[in-house]
Amino acid sequence: MHIIVPIKQVPETSNVKMDPVSGTMLRTGVETVVNPLDLYALESAFRLKEQHGGVGTITVITMGPPQAVKVLKEALAMGCDQAYLISDKAFAGSDTWATSYVLSRAIMELGAYDLIIAGERATDGDTGQVGPGIAAWLDIPAVTYAAAIESTDAGFVSCSRMVEEGYQQVAVQLPAVITVVKEIGAVRLPTLRGKIRSRSAEIPLIDAGKLSAHKPLWGLSKSPTRVVKIEQTTVKREGKTVVVDEHTPAEAAADSFMEFLAEKHIILGDRHA
Amino acid sequence: MAGNQKAENQKADNQKADKRQYGKITAEILQELISIAGAAHVSADEEKLEAYSHDETSAEYHHLPEAVVTPTTTAQVAEIVRLANRERIPVTPRGAGSGLSGGSIPIFGGIALSLEKMDRIIEIDYENMTATVEAGVITNEINAASAERGLFYAGYPMSLETCCLGGNIAENAGGGKAIKYGVTGRYILGLELVTPTGEIVELGGKLYKDVTGYDLKQLIVGSEGTLGIVTRATVKLIGLPKAKADLLVLFQSPEDAIAVVPIIMTQGILPTSIEFMDRLSVQTSCRYLNESLPYEQAGAMLLIEVDGSHGDQVEADAIAIGELCAGHGALEVYIAEDRNMMERIWNVRRNIAEAFIVYSPVQSLEDIVVPIAAIPKIIPELERISAAYGMKIPCYGHAGDGNLHATLVKDPEMSMGEWFAVEKAALRELYAVTGRLGGKISGEHGIGIKRREFFLDLVDPVELELMRGIKQAWDPNGIMNPGKIF
Repeated sequence: MHIIVPIKQVPETSNVKMDPVSGTMLRTGVETVVNPLDLYALESAFRLKEQHGGVGTITVITMGPPQAVKVLKEALAMGCDQAYLISDKAFAGSDTWATSYVLSRAIMELGAYDLIIAGERATDGDTGQVGPGIAAWLDIPAVTYAAAIESTDAGFVSCSRMVEEGYQQVAVQLPAVITVVKEIGAVRLPTLRGKIRSRSAEIPLIDAGKLSAHKPLWGLSKSPTRVVKIEQTTVKREGKTVVVDEHTPAEAAADSFMEFLAEKHIILGDRHA
Repeated sequence: MAGNQKAENQKADNQKADKRQYGKITAEILQELISIAGAAHVSADEEKLEAYSHDETSAEYHHLPEAVVTPTTTAQVAEIVRLANRERIPVTPRGAGSGLSGGSIPIFGGIALSLEKMDRIIEIDYENMTATVEAGVITNEINAASAERGLFYAGYPMSLETCCLGGNIAENAGGGKAIKYGVTGRYILGLELVTPTGEIVELGGKLYKDVTGYDLKQLIVGSEGTLGIVTRATVKLIGLPKAKADLLVLFQSPEDAIAVVPIIMTQGILPTSIEFMDRLSVQTSCRYLNESLPYEQAGAMLLIEVDGSHGDQVEADAIAIGELCAGHGALEVYIAEDRNMMERIWNVRRNIAEAFIVYSPVQSLEDIVVPIAAIPKIIPELERISAAYGMKIPCYGHAGDGNLHATLVKDPEMSMGEWFAVEKAALRELYAVTGRLGGKISGEHGIGIKRREFFLDLVDPVELELMRGIKQAWDPNGIMNPGKIF
């Protein structure tokens, strides 16, 4: 079984700063980490491989600047078998449409695969579009919000999707893209053995030249979406205090509280009656 | 025999001190306090006083002050102390109340003098690499203010997000990074102090070296608020390490884990931290956090951090230490360089105390310290004491500097009466063992009131007399945090 896990390098969320003029994230000098939700994708891949008696290959890929090699090394130390860095100045500024395109074309260059497992979304852009985008570009099925993956026979996997109403059981034919949620299981830590192995691992580069067989639908100019404006939301307290005293009996206070909740659409107004 | 007689005399002295007559806070004195600090900064309201009656020690030590004052300037502090000295009213200085020795508890009532309103960062001096702050500053704020320029204050304890620098100085607090960076005292360059007679004095300055007379500022460091009130401090800042890596190392037994510590410490790579956690500690914390570290197979773990200015070097150091552990019986070695993974590991360590409070809020959090070579010898002794007294003694802490939090935890089923009996006996035995191994009863929390009785039993009478002489010279009326240490 060949599983490909696309991961992303994201800023460590406790110290994200925005450029007030351009509205984009200031990425220089900011400590980066493996997108926390991608760790669950890696964990799912490790578990699937273990279910197959440790037979198979897990390939981790990331698209980003050369420094993104750091997150690939981390993934190798956790247990991935090989890693590829997808990096080129020409890819800079790609939105989710262009990014998923580049990832899909890079995956095509990696040869045959059975599964692509991605995190639910990245903690920086928060779109959740790249995983399904890869599936669309590759014209293969996508299963999102998987909370459990089980391998079945005859080229299918069965997934338990976490949806609003509960869990939905889906069987999907391989190859497919699956995006996973945290419920997939606790993430393992990188081991010393893994770290030593990852230090000497060769991480091949996939640049625009390596994708020359494909249309260059990447970079800022080919990206159909733009960040027009980023606003900081402010939380305002607009509460009011109703005091129960000699002028306001408890019942009247409760009524006015219910009215307030109905006004704010926190409860349905007709429940009041 | 002579020694015993002397000890008896000391006890009698203590009792005398405890019965010392202090002045009470009358309506007139309260008015005077208000005229000094302003009505908003003085309270004798019992509900308000409650918050100033305790620190993080258990309820048996709590005691209400008669009034709480929250001055905003050094001049006000001095005036309050002069008033207290004149009227023989005890003054108990206080920061965030996160202490673990009862040091900030006003056991004779009187004035709880809280520095909480004196919380300004006065200056970050990049040219001299110093920060000058008021005593009520939350310690971590110094780091927040200096991080942008790549500097940090390295003397901080584990509670850095809640504790005040003034309290750190009073207790000479240490923390998880002490083996490399040392404790509070190493970073104190200058102090502004209000003496017990109400005078304001500047000790030290921005100097890295200073042997101009006695080093009084270092006398104040760790004096538990008994020699005056620190109102302002100048601390040394150092370059913030650019890279860090953590190792989480699993061992079959606590003995195996602890035995590696002296070996690591003598290899030439100085880690920032070597934290020890026995199975009970890890398990309790993991359950509390819903964390799934593979603790079931391990009898104990070490959490080792290395830092430095270059990622590759730090990683190489971490691997070297990891391999050393692997060669000395480690079951598994995990290595984290990703911030989230590191946080995950440290979270387990940081939440041990909290997790045990959920299990049983009655406990005695200890901080015995032994020479590093003696660390392996303490573990079987803890197991013996824990079995003999029928209590849980989770053991965790700063193994790299021999400072262990062997914590006596009351079985939730045990009655308080039984507990008080076994607690004292078990502590006595723990401290005796510590002494035999060349250790001391407190490495970073201080004596306060919690360990006073034990300290008086164990301290060399000559040393005690010297300490008392200092106290008498500084505080002739015994008003400054009385009843603490001795």
